[in-house]
Amino acid sequence: MRWVDICDESALPRFGGIAAWCENRAVAIFNLGEKGLYAISNTDPATGVSLLSRGLICELEGDIWVASPLHKQHYSLTSGECIEDESLRVQLYPISCEGGRVRLQTACDQSESTALRSAI
Amino acid sequence: MGCIQTTQVPDVRFGLDEDDLRPKLLVVGNGMVGHHFIEQLCEQGLNERYQVQVFGAENLPAYDRVQLSKYFDSGSADTLMLASVEAYQAKGISLHLGKEVVGLDIESRHLYTSGDEKWRYDKLVLATGSYPFVPPIEGKDRKKCMVYRTIDDLHAIQHAAKDATSGVVIGGGLLGLEAANALLTLGLDTHVVEFAPQLMPVQLNDKAGELLCQKIEALGVSVHTSKATTAIIDGESSTHRMTFRDGSHLETDLIVFSAGIRPQDSLARLSGLEVGERGGVVIDDHCLTSNEDIYAIGECALWQQQVFGLVAPGYQMARTVISHLSSSSKGADSAPFSGADMSTKLKLLGVDVASIGQSRGFDNAKFVELSDNQAGTYKKLWLDETGDYLKGAVLVGDVTDYNFLLNQYLSGSALTTPAIELFQQDADAPLTLNDDAVICSCHQVTKADIVARVIEGDHSLAAIKGCTKAASGCGGCSALVQQVITQTMESQGLEVSKGICCHFEHDRQSLFHLCQVESITDFSSLIKRHGKVGTSQLGLGCDICKPLVASIFATLENEYVLNLQHANLQDTNDAYLGNLQKDGSYSVVPRIAGGEISPDKLIALGEIAKKHDLYTKITGGQRIDLFGAQLTDLPMIWQELVEQGFETGHAYGKSLRTVKSCVGSTWCRYGVQDSVGLAIALENRYKGLRSPHKLKFAVSGCTRECAEAQSKDIGIIASDKGWNLYVGGNGGMKPRHGDLFATDLSTRELVRFIDQILMFYSKTAARLQRTSVWLESLEGGLAYLQSVIIDDSLGLISELESHMDKVVASYQCEWKTSLETPEFLSRFSEYVNPEQMPAFGLEQYRYSRGQRFPVSTSDRIPLINIPLSEDAQLAELSEV
Repeated sequence: MRWVDICDESALPRFGGIAAWCENRAVAIFNLGEKGLYAISNTDPATGVSLLSRGLICELEGDIWVASPLHKQHYSLTSGECIEDESLRVQLYPISCEGGRVRLQTACDQSESTALRSAI
Repeated sequence: MGCIQTTQVPDVRFGLDEDDLRPKLLVVGNGMVGHHFIEQLCEQGLNERYQVQVFGAENLPAYDRVQLSKYFDSGSADTLMLASVEAYQAKGISLHLGKEVVGLDIESRHLYTSGDEKWRYDKLVLATGSYPFVPPIEGKDRKKCMVYRTIDDLHAIQHAAKDATSGVVIGGGLLGLEAANALLTLGLDTHVVEFAPQLMPVQLNDKAGELLCQKIEALGVSVHTSKATTAIIDGESSTHRMTFRDGSHLETDLIVFSAGIRPQDSLARLSGLEVGERGGVVIDDHCLTSNEDIYAIGECALWQQQVFGLVAPGYQMARTVISHLSSSSKGADSAPFSGADMSTKLKLLGVDVASIGQSRGFDNAKFVELSDNQAGTYKKLWLDETGDYLKGAVLVGDVTDYNFLLNQYLSGSALTTPAIELFQQDADAPLTLNDDAVICSCHQVTKADIVARVIEGDHSLAAIKGCTKAASGCGGCSALVQQVITQTMESQGLEVSKGICCHFEHDRQSLFHLCQVESITDFSSLIKRHGKVGTSQLGLGCDICKPLVASIFATLENEYVLNLQHANLQDTNDAYLGNLQKDGSYSVVPRIAGGEISPDKLIALGEIAKKHDLYTKITGGQRIDLFGAQLTDLPMIWQELVEQGFETGHAYGKSLRTVKSCVGSTWCRYGVQDSVGLAIALENRYKGLRSPHKLKFAVSGCTRECAEAQSKDIGIIASDKGWNLYVGGNGGMKPRHGDLFATDLSTRELVRFIDQILMFYSKTAARLQRTSVWLESLEGGLAYLQSVIIDDSLGLISELESHMDKVVASYQCEWKTSLETPEFLSRFSEYVNPEQMPAFGLEQYRYSRGQRFPVSTSDRIPLINIPLSEDAQLAELSEV
């Protein structure tokens, strides 16, 4: 596991989402201002389409979620859980910001990259 | 028990004032129906017009006999009481309890009570109810052989149970099972003995009876069917031994007879009133007996050879008499009794049971039957010979469908779906009920009755219960009553406690109003002032409220939708000014107003589509949709389109889509007006208007209606004198023809009406409510809309007009604005680090019919292989 440099913090739209490439994976980064940054896989587990960064950020049940633009399932930015379907879960990525640079930590293995390739 | 006494009786009139010249109305019986009669009497103010006296044979005033077995739950009769002497007194009514009426002289119009008291009447109501039938079995009068009807009976059963270990109920009908419940509650080893081969033979068919039997036996009640009791004799191990015709026997300590009821008609019988062969005081449609001053209501009455053993028909009879009494004094017509529905839903020993209509079926009936062993439910629907009409139903174990099925049965309308689907009704789904649908069958309250009270301002279930009595009988309809209240309030434009989402307790209309009145132009001010910011304190909102509020801001101010303060509110279509497709790409739809396009522009469109390899299809709205554009490519494609003179088609927005048209009088030899010209003008006027939902228009150049304008939100059909305007049409999931709003309008009048209607819709419609649903939800519907717009009944017209003028004047092509502003364009960079894109391509496509299609692992588009010969046939067909 290692930290991968992604972009300048200023490149992240405030209170919005944007996708990022991180070692061949598409990751959705959400910038919640003083509440910090959140990163999840950009792939919507319900459809296999890479677009979660374009979802609306929601606050429901005391947690923060992104609503999939396709069919509006809500995925937790803090746990990866899905409100509508407990069999669905989105991958979380550790994210940090140091010296104005945003970094993501990659998951342990490369299998997801393969999964992504086959999914799209 | 009674006798006719005509002489030698002192003429005593307790409680009656001789100087009071009002006619005397006497009521015999203070059971549920007798009490309901008094309630209705007072409601109509007839207690002012008559001197009213009520005689009850029991020592208690009216109580809820239907819930009798609850007496053992609470050990007290208090919760069952319906009436009191004091409450009657307060209305000027004397209630004589424990006073049995023993004689009736219809010649001199007198009643006689025990103690030789004599009471003169002008009008008499018999509400004597019924008595339990005890079959003539040897030993039936032994000790601890009882009946189950009154609270006194319950006292006796309770007393007898003290030194008993077992109890038998003779009779497995509705009341018998209630009695069995009572014995079970008293801790007795409980048995039910039924003559028929099944339980509840009157209401249930064999399978339903069998399931009920299983469920009741699971509760510890032993059920013995097909048992005819021949005698009750001394038992060996218990007090009694019941012997049965089949030679078997059963020993028990106490016996409760519940083998049916008989009308209590002895007064009528002895006084010479007409009674039925098998009992019951014969009544006509006004509940009048053979004597014109005597009515009979409830279980003692016989109407068209029928005795009604349920409380709801008895209530109906009580109201019939009230109506007759008050109308005969006014010389008006009264509402006759026309029979009653005997459908019923109840909980017997904790088991839900319901029967509707002809619940045991009939000759030539079709049926649908659902027997779920796992869930322990049984349902059967009886349909007529054609299978189109619901004629009866029986439900055991799960009665959630009862209200829906009852309404379907009572409405008498043909089924619109296969009968099997009637079982899968969502109990929470709003019902579409007719105004005359009976919501509360205990008190005969119709939907219209409830709606009327809601409109008058009674908005809570409690208030509606109070004023209409709906849901105050068995209570089974309370969910339905609540639904009617909610629907009515919604149709009134009233705020129902439910807000649009968990962040706002407001509906769309009130949010619109707040933003307008308080000049709120950003989401965070709105949620801080009027919403719930949530634990994060960020006021993030959700995918319901954010796009809704963005749409309101857009209607009010018509600003660029991707302004920084609005951009994060937009759902994905508005956020990227394109229509998201299943593979994450977008479609591009330039405006082709009225469907008119020059060859040059058509070529330009084709070239752009070809260059970017976009799948191209002509839409239903007479324009061209280009599919398969990646988010990042959208600005480049639009740059080229704008350069060629195209502008955005707003296909992504809740806004005006297209104005479809036929070719009209410019070319068509039938056309009477220039439909294309008008369509272009209208499309250009309303393009960019953000509304509660998408808007579709069409203009037809003559009455042949080739543009299908009546299926659009706004439809215009040319007449030889001008334009006819239709409103609220819809295609799609729930097609609806538009309503004719106004005829023979000049173009100027037409445009003004459309301005006003659209703005009124934008202000008042609910979230994502199309004009068709909106129009139907307006109380008064089309006529109301006409009064608001044509007669300016709300004084809104000038405001609506100026608001529309403002929106029209502030139109901008959102794509043009985006392309001119680099900070907006940055939104279309999907990846923050595109240089890190992996080597493998993201997009996977395949080609078919000369175009590009998306490929996904989960869903491959099936290839259609049509043999050549058929292909040729198809080509031939397409020429037709």
